[in-house]
Amino acid sequence: MSQPSDTGRASPRVTVQFDHPDRRYEPQDAITVRYRIEGLDGERTQAVEHSIAWYTEGKGEEDLGVHFFERVTDPARLPPTSNGGEFAARLPSSPLSYEGVIVKLRWCVRVRIFFQASRDFVSEHVFDVGRIPPTRVPPARSP
Amino acid sequence: MRLPRFFGKKRGHRRTGSQAWGSFGDGAFHGALLLAGLVFGGLLVSGVAVPEWRINHDFVATPCTIVGKGLARTAVQDRSGSTAATWQPRLRVRYEADGLSHEAWSRPPSATAATDRDLALGRLATWQLGETLPGWYDPSNPAVVVLERGYNWWMWLLALLLPGALVAFGGSGLLRAVRRWGRSEESQAAAAGLNDMLDPLSRVPRHAPDHPAVPACEDMVNSPGTILRYRLPIESPESWTLLGFGLFALLWNAVLAVLAVGAGLDLMGGRRDWLLLALLIPFAVVGIAGIGLFIRGLVLATASGTTQLEISDHPLRPGQRYDVLLAQGGAGTFRDLEMTLELEEQATFRQGTDTRSEKVVVARQPVQSWRGVQLVPGTRFEAHATITIPPDAMHSFASEHNSIRWMIVVRGRPARWPAFTRVFPLIVFPAPATGARAGGEAGS
Repeated sequence: MSQPSDTGRASPRVTVQFDHPDRRYEPQDAITVRYRIEGLDGERTQAVEHSIAWYTEGKGEEDLGVHFFERVTDPARLPPTSNGGEFAARLPSSPLSYEGVIVKLRWCVRVRIFFQASRDFVSEHVFDVGRIPPTRVPPARSP
Repeated sequence: MRLPRFFGKKRGHRRTGSQAWGSFGDGAFHGALLLAGLVFGGLLVSGVAVPEWRINHDFVATPCTIVGKGLARTAVQDRSGSTAATWQPRLRVRYEADGLSHEAWSRPPSATAATDRDLALGRLATWQLGETLPGWYDPSNPAVVVLERGYNWWMWLLALLLPGALVAFGGSGLLRAVRRWGRSEESQAAAAGLNDMLDPLSRVPRHAPDHPAVPACEDMVNSPGTILRYRLPIESPESWTLLGFGLFALLWNAVLAVLAVGAGLDLMGGRRDWLLLALLIPFAVVGIAGIGLFIRGLVLATASGTTQLEISDHPLRPGQRYDVLLAQGGAGTFRDLEMTLELEEQATFRQGTDTRSEKVVVARQPVQSWRGVQLVPGTRFEAHATITIPPDAMHSFASEHNSIRWMIVVRGRPARWPAFTRVFPLIVFPAPATGARAGGEAGS
């Protein structure tokens, strides 16, 4: 899933390849991600950030935990010289992906492109850690 | 041209609003607080602290001879037009400074203002003409002399505390905003340690070592059990209600006592403030009701006896079985006593200016229940049970606004007292990794 932080200009496309085709990992697994950036329309970039993170979704305010973070500013590794990249990390033992009722926990890979025109574009790709089945609300207690 | 959005709103996977403008607003707000603290602090230091410090360090000692006495009258007119005056003793003293003789009016030592002129005259009479007092003159302006030195600690406290709080709060907020400026949320979260230190309102829970986002359980394994390994801490919602009633009764009746003493002193002095007396009656009714509610809550909380729970191991792991010992004190008959293992989700969110929390029990597993339990005073009901954490269970989780909590809940229905619920939190770690898989083939 790719989305601009600010709309109205060129909307790049970031395609991501996980080393596990089913995007399902176990805790402490190694994860390797390759990505490719397209559709920049000649717009100049100043940095690309790679992150592996978890975030909460649901009724509460969103919480974010970053497990791996890397900021690339070397022009040799940035478009237009290089239109892609790769990064790898070993996943932690927790938290696991969780599909609850009012709290959901998702793991994702984010590639954030910073343009020289003071705007940025983020592409987010969700994957699973662990195998926790989705939760359903149990029937209410009888009095 | 689009106007910038100063607010952010969560819409599914994305957040609307401008992060840059948000950071700017945050920085401007904290910058204004910092500036206010610096200006206020500067005024207090230059107007109060520095003159007082100079008197104690720079002024030169000289003997002063009293050559005149008088009262300084200060009149203040209130809204109704009536004038209230205070009287303060003043002494005219003669002293030597830089080889020259000077005369000046000054405030005598320990001279306080009085609303009664005769009282002030009585105080003034304690100083005699021709008497010599120690004094200190200003070397840069010998016409200024004081007859008393020392520090006004309340003023120093005020000068340091209020501007200090503004400078600390504004400065840390401004530093936080500067650190966030132009940085992505991932970059900020990756440097969470320092950001949390700079954000006094941040409530990030402590995590277990090597288990990010799993709450720490040191506080839950520091109490050994009598039969099983650990005694679990209790988290009783009734205790918080009782504490709330107690605090309310204490504070309300403290205010009531202050008002009642004031009214009593007025009555003894022959004055009757009918408005105050009329206010005291409903205040007293609320105060007595508060004490009554507290005593009722205390009786209800203690009458059904204490509940203790012990467990064979902690933290827990999915797929594992654990022995649990329930011990219920008290007297009389319990119609029901029930123990369940529950998983609860808790989310904290902002609604307008309020911060709200919502809890949902998403898994409930009956452990054991008992009917018609007869308790004898001096002994306790004890029962062993076994709990099993499901193999595919979610582990305990805690972040700033969301949590997933495992707990054992004991519900009791005593025959003579209202039902109670007592909660014993548990920490469940993720199942140990069975060995990381090797990296597979590339996919998309």
